Amino acid sequence: MRESELPPKSAVVTIGRHGLSDFFADILQGIGKVDVWFTFAMDDMQQRYRRSALGLLWIMMSYAFFVGGISFFFGAFSQASPDRFIAYVAIGYAMFAFLMAQVQDGCQVFVNATTWIKSVSMPFSIHVLRSIFRAVFTLALNLIVAFSAMLVMGWRPELVAFLCLPGFVIYLINAIAIQYTFGLIAARYRDVAHLTNSITRIMIFVTPVLWVREELTGARAIVADLNPLTHYIEIIRAPLLGDVPRLSSWAIVLAITVLLLAIASVTGAHMRRRLPYWI
Amino acid sequence: MSHVSVKNLFLNYPLYQQAPIPDKPQIAHSVDPENSAHNHRNETLIRGGNNAIIGVRALSGISFEVPSGGRLAIMGENGSGKTTLLQVLAGIYAPDSGEVVIDGQTTSVVNINLGMSLEASGHNNITLRGLAAGRSRREIEERRADIAAFSELGEFLDLPVQTYSAGMRMRLNFAIATAFQPDVLILDEWLSAGDAAFRKKATARMQSFVEQAGILILASHSRALMEATCDRALWLDCGQIRAEGKVGEVANAYDEEMIRRQKDRDIRAQAELEAARAHATFVGQVDQAAQSENGRSPSGFYSFFARLSRIFLRAIGRK
Repeated sequence: MRESELPPKSAVVTIGRHGLSDFFADILQGIGKVDVWFTFAMDDMQQRYRRSALGLLWIMMSYAFFVGGISFFFGAFSQASPDRFIAYVAIGYAMFAFLMAQVQDGCQVFVNATTWIKSVSMPFSIHVLRSIFRAVFTLALNLIVAFSAMLVMGWRPELVAFLCLPGFVIYLINAIAIQYTFGLIAARYRDVAHLTNSITRIMIFVTPVLWVREELTGARAIVADLNPLTHYIEIIRAPLLGDVPRLSSWAIVLAITVLLLAIASVTGAHMRRRLPYWI
Repeated sequence: MSHVSVKNLFLNYPLYQQAPIPDKPQIAHSVDPENSAHNHRNETLIRGGNNAIIGVRALSGISFEVPSGGRLAIMGENGSGKTTLLQVLAGIYAPDSGEVVIDGQTTSVVNINLGMSLEASGHNNITLRGLAAGRSRREIEERRADIAAFSELGEFLDLPVQTYSAGMRMRLNFAIATAFQPDVLILDEWLSAGDAAFRKKATARMQSFVEQAGILILASHSRALMEATCDRALWLDCGQIRAEGKVGEVANAYDEEMIRRQKDRDIRAQAELEAARAHATFVGQVDQAAQSENGRSPSGFYSFFARLSRIFLRAIGRK
């Protein structure tokens, strides 16, 4: 052991207090430890594809297959031109998959991190951020496929496309709230993971991803508008397709974001302390 | 200067649907329950409305101080709360009430299988553990060679940790935990999987660690190890402090009590065994009677359905 070492940082740890302030401190401290969750997430990605020859390319290839297949079969049901329908599906499904992943990964986020939660004291949000970063990484690869296909089909971004940027920020805020909340609840009540799985399966049919909302009328249009996912996807997809998203979509997304943050705060303040006992 | 202070710690460990409701009365005991240490342990169980076990009183009113350079041994039977106490000190479990103040950076090795990503290589785990413990990448790289050398794992460090034996995992875990010179080192039963050579090496490293005024808190069943590395000892009994003092004195009292309790338990276990045998004989006679009535074998199919219907009845009875 070397002598030249700087004196170790002294840290006073007081355990026993809890509540809302601890929850927010947990999130802020976690966000500050970029190196930790980034490294953990990269390690996860490497492990998932370690023994496959094509590795991460599989994410992109499977997305290309999916978009190609859907556009070929479902494009016929839409009045949109083929290039517009491909763009519609390619962006829409990438965002849909990201949102669904927040709920599904969220249910596993703390359960899968049992070994670390039970052995090292660090902010729980590290595990949430690690999980979100994995999903962002997949989303980025999917969007690369989407934009490549769209460019080939003659798509060019318009100035209105910049309107999607605040949408991505909103997505990340929602991701933290969703994963933290679902992580805690699913760790305590193991049925929640099964419940969300059975619900997320039908979401693809009631969300305008494989079909175009504007083409529907009557009850089905109302169902689409009642579905929050419609509005979440719209604030990203519309600008990229050259349209200004409906103001009502933005209003609904912001209202739900505030609601999710409130729910996350309540569950976080109430349940966070007991998480290690549940996993 | 590092310091550990624990004041009036209480912790009930909740259990969720892990303990079935007993469906039969407890076997009668021939041992006086007042004197039985065996019963003693059951008293820490917390029972809910329908007699289901909903938790364990893991720690009750624990208070102690460890000054800079202190080396505290924690002894106690299985299930006495040693590991739970260490996990509270490590900041993993939040207590129900009481206060833990730790002045200094803490590293804990409470379970050799935890705190490792089993699919990642040994080298990756050094990075992950270092980062998780709040160390910078520069610090980790500075220490990597030292960790590799101390663990003596050689090229195994490039292989996934799941290919390691228990002893190898322990080597790596211990090497990582001590490499970053924490102010407070918390260890639980870590020597059980090590070979003699590594034990010697690890003990020497722990001694050099405490010479640098670090705090060592060690839970163990090995009297020799505790006497070699610790100065004071805490005896935990059913989540309470039974005794605290010099390591030799506490260990003497502890050993005496354990011998006494084991005698009680042997008597009790014998009585229970006889009762169980009598019960089995009775069940066997019933089964034989059923067999001669139906002319069918009671094994296999029959016992499977018998068990199934018992489970079913129990489920209904619960409602």
